[in-house]
Order: sequence, then C-alpha cells, then structure tokens
Amino acid sequence: MQENKITADSTVITIKDLYKSFGRLEVLKGVNLEIKKGEKVVVIGPSGSGKSTMLRCLNLLEEPTCGEVWFHENLLTPVDPYLHSDLIERSNTFQKMLCERLAQGEEEHEALRDQIAFEIKEKSLLKKHEGKAFKKAIKELYSTYTLNINKARAKIGMVFQHFNLFNNLTVLQNLTVAPIQLKLKTKEQANEKAFALLKRIGLEDKANAYPSTLSGGQKQRIAIIRALAMEPEVMLFDEPTSALDPEMVGEVLELMKDLADEGMTMVVVTHEMGFAKEVASRIIFMNDGLIQEENDPENFFENPKNERLKEFLSKVLK
Amino acid sequence: MWNTFIEKFIIEEGYKLTLTGLSNTALIAVFGLLIGFLLGTVIAIVKLVPVKNIFVTVLKKICDGYVAVFRGTPIVVQLLLLHFAVFPALGLLLEDVVEASIIFGLNSAAYISEIMRGGINSVDKGQMEAGRSLGFGYTRTMIKIVIPQAFKNILPTLGNEFISLIKETSVLSLIAVTDLTKSFKAIAESTYEYFIPYIMLAICYFVIVYLISLLVKFMERRFNTDARK
Repeated sequence: MQENKITADSTVITIKDLYKSFGRLEVLKGVNLEIKKGEKVVVIGPSGSGKSTMLRCLNLLEEPTCGEVWFHENLLTPVDPYLHSDLIERSNTFQKMLCERLAQGEEEHEALRDQIAFEIKEKSLLKKHEGKAFKKAIKELYSTYTLNINKARAKIGMVFQHFNLFNNLTVLQNLTVAPIQLKLKTKEQANEKAFALLKRIGLEDKANAYPSTLSGGQKQRIAIIRALAMEPEVMLFDEPTSALDPEMVGEVLELMKDLADEGMTMVVVTHEMGFAKEVASRIIFMNDGLIQEENDPENFFENPKNERLKEFLSKVLK
Repeated sequence: MWNTFIEKFIIEEGYKLTLTGLSNTALIAVFGLLIGFLLGTVIAIVKLVPVKNIFVTVLKKICDGYVAVFRGTPIVVQLLLLHFAVFPALGLLLEDVVEASIIFGLNSAAYISEIMRGGINSVDKGQMEAGRSLGFGYTRTMIKIVIPQAFKNILPTLGNEFISLIKETSVLSLIAVTDLTKSFKAIAESTYEYFIPYIMLAICYFVIVYLISLLVKFMERRFNTDARK
C-alpha cells in the first residue's frame, strides 16, 4: 500500500493505531501514518470521515482515546495517564485489545511496548483499590519517554479553518506573542522576524491593525506566518481555505505552495483537489475513520482502487 | 430649612464627616470590586478548567457551594453574620474599611464569577486552541488571550456590578461604618431636618453612579478593537 517515492528521511510524526471516540461516536478507528521530513501529505475525504480529527490528534488538540502519537523520538500520548488507566479499568476487552496491540509493536519501541503490556497484564489482576498504584506505575513508565506537550506544539505549527487570530492583539503582537512569551526570542528578534514575514506576504502596513479589520484571506495568511514565526518543523493545515471567499482562496494557496517549495513538512486537510495534485507528495483518502487509500498524486487520481474513493472523486472532479 | 443644613454642614464642619463617608464608600466599593474581580476570576477558571482529578473536583464543589451561599443570602445578613459572629470567632479584628471591603469583595466575587464564566464561554473556543497550538499552556492562554477578550465582553455587566456595589454599601451603617449614608444620616438626626440631607444624599449617589457609567462607556470604547466602531 505504501508506495512512497520520497526516499526515507527522518520521520517527524508517527501515529500508531489511533482511536478516537466522542461519547459513543467512533471517529477514528485505528489510523496509522508516518510523516517524513519534507513530505507534503494531503488528506482528503468526505465530511465526517475523521480527517480533521486525525489532524488535530497530531498535536493533541484532540486527545486520542487510544493509540500513540510520536514526535521524532518522543511519545506525546498519553498526556494524561489517568485517562489511559481509567479506560483500562473500565473495560476488560479494551484491556486485551490494548495488550495485543502493544505487544505487536515494531522493533524501535518494542522494549517499551513489552514493558507496558507486561505491566498492564500484571496490574490488571490487581483489585480496584489498588488502581492508584497501577496509575502511578503507568505514569512512571511513560514519564521517561514523554515530551512536554507544550514544547512539542511549539515545533508543530497549526493553521485553522477559522484563522483563530488573537482578536485582542494587533497583527504584530499576534506574530510575536508566542516567541516572546515562550522565551524563544527577544522582543527585538521577534519583531524583526515578524516584519520579515509580513513583508513576504506584503502586509507590512497592517502590522498595527487589529484582526477584525482584515479580510479573510489576509487573516489566513497572517495565521500562516504566525505559525511560521515559531520556526516549526512541520505545519498542519486544517481546511485552511474552506471559510474563505472564493476570491481569496488563491492568495492563501499561493503562500502554501511557496512553503511547500521551500521544503516545509506539511500535512494538509483540504478539499482543493488542484492543490493536492500540484503540491502533494502523498495523498491520503480517509473514510469512515480509516485511511482507505494512500498514493502519490498521479496514481491517486488516475487509478484509484477503493470503491468509495472512486465515487468521491467522480463527484469532486467534474 | 436651608439655614439649619448650611449651619450644620459648613459652620459646624459636618462636611468633614461627609468627606470621610464619601471616601470610605469609594474605598470600600473599589477594593470590594477588586477583591471580587480577582476572586471571581479564580472561581470562574476553577469552574471551567477541563482537568479531571479528585483535587480539582473537590475545588469545583467548594466554588459551587461558595457561589450558592453568597448569592443565596442577602448582603445585610452576610454583613451581620461576618461582622458580629464569624470574624470575631476567628479572632480577626480588622479596620472597619478593610473589613467592609473584604465582606463586599466576598459577596461580589460570587456574582462576578458567574459573569466571568459567561464572559470566558463567550470567547471563541478557537482562541484557546490557537494559543495551545503555539505551545502556550492552559493558564497562559487564559491570562494572555482569553481573559482579556472575556473582560472586554463583560465590561458593561461589570460596570453594572460596580454600580450596584456602590449602592449596596449604604447598608454599612448597620455595622457602624461611616459611609456616605451614615454621614448624612448623622446630620439629619442631629438637626431633625430630614429633607435636605437625604435629598443631598440621593444626589451624591446619583452623581457617583452617573460618573461611573460614563467611565464604563469610555472604557468600552477603549477596549473595542472591532472594525465597526
């Protein structure tokens, strides 16, 4: 299934067996994905297929119900070991599933998986009042592998459908607040970088304007450079053009293409098939909470194999 | 009528008492609001924090109880209870103005926490997500991004709260604190002339409240970053 033309560079984000439910609604049903450095992965699929949820799980804006998200060598999940152990306590079937899945891991993290699986098997025999010890054990186990999620997020840029610029700050402050607050840059450095980025998109004159005075396209381009100001290793785009006037889609896509050309690692959830064809190094089709097809753009559009994808493409490409 | 008042007010230096009363009323209202705002914000955040553990759950219950009690009883009752029973029992002997500020602060915290909660909820969830996606923690996003916007949204309501706080301080005469009401009452009772002192009292409150409503309007304009002003 994986016909990857890109020669394997280092992996930036890995997700393994990702499950996510909202109450009884299962949105993700076991997603596996590896994103390598410099790759431009475009995710398409019908609405409700879980593509946005999957993207939001990559930086844990959505906490997966089960599964792993790795950023380089660091495990980001589970942020909350309580959540994890609560689930385990709640359902025995889940317990078995988890053990099985943890047990059949790959080599690199095999030791960890074995250990966890062992721990869970051991501890699950304990009675309920010993749950506390169990939680503690899990927490300790993970703490050696986990990275502070905020540190990871600082390296993972995200662009939202509805821009989400900070309304109480000026454009310039929007660009500099994070680097300054997180002490990544001094105020001067941050301002310098911000102006360079504003110049790049031709909006220097808007530096002291508030977001509410900008057009949708301007907002989204500023949202993109706000993420860039953090000098991220990978950028996540969650339907960045869906809330824009048709007229303004072009300018945003243009900026994204530029980024792609510069070698930025990107994961883009979009309905813009033209963009996907032109920019993607790999396209993923999601449906019903699963990745159902994964291919390079050419083969993806020319000979789709999955029935649902064929139907989807016939409707979208007219 | 006027002569008695002027004699009492100026020649017998009744205005000094009035000034003390005025400054006490102002101090108690301002510090009461300040305490109420800070405590109310903390309560609002505790109620909204999405973490689930036993410590937070207990804290949430305490905040719920606090708000229920302070909203469920009249300020006069709280004043009497805290001043004559609770504070003495705790061995707290505070200056009148300090004590009154604390009591009014505790009272308005209950109201402001609810106002604040509504304000925070009114801020688009995307703002929090954007902050988190840049690597900010929950608290930092709250303080830097969400609360300033919530504050802007609740400013008119907060102004209302301040106005009613000022008016409520008139019950302070019950615990013998010299506020504005008490000072005019003293003049009225010493001269047996009620009409002018109480009319003056009413005018004083009205002017204060009017000035505050102007201030709130001014602040609303200051904080408004919307394009359509």
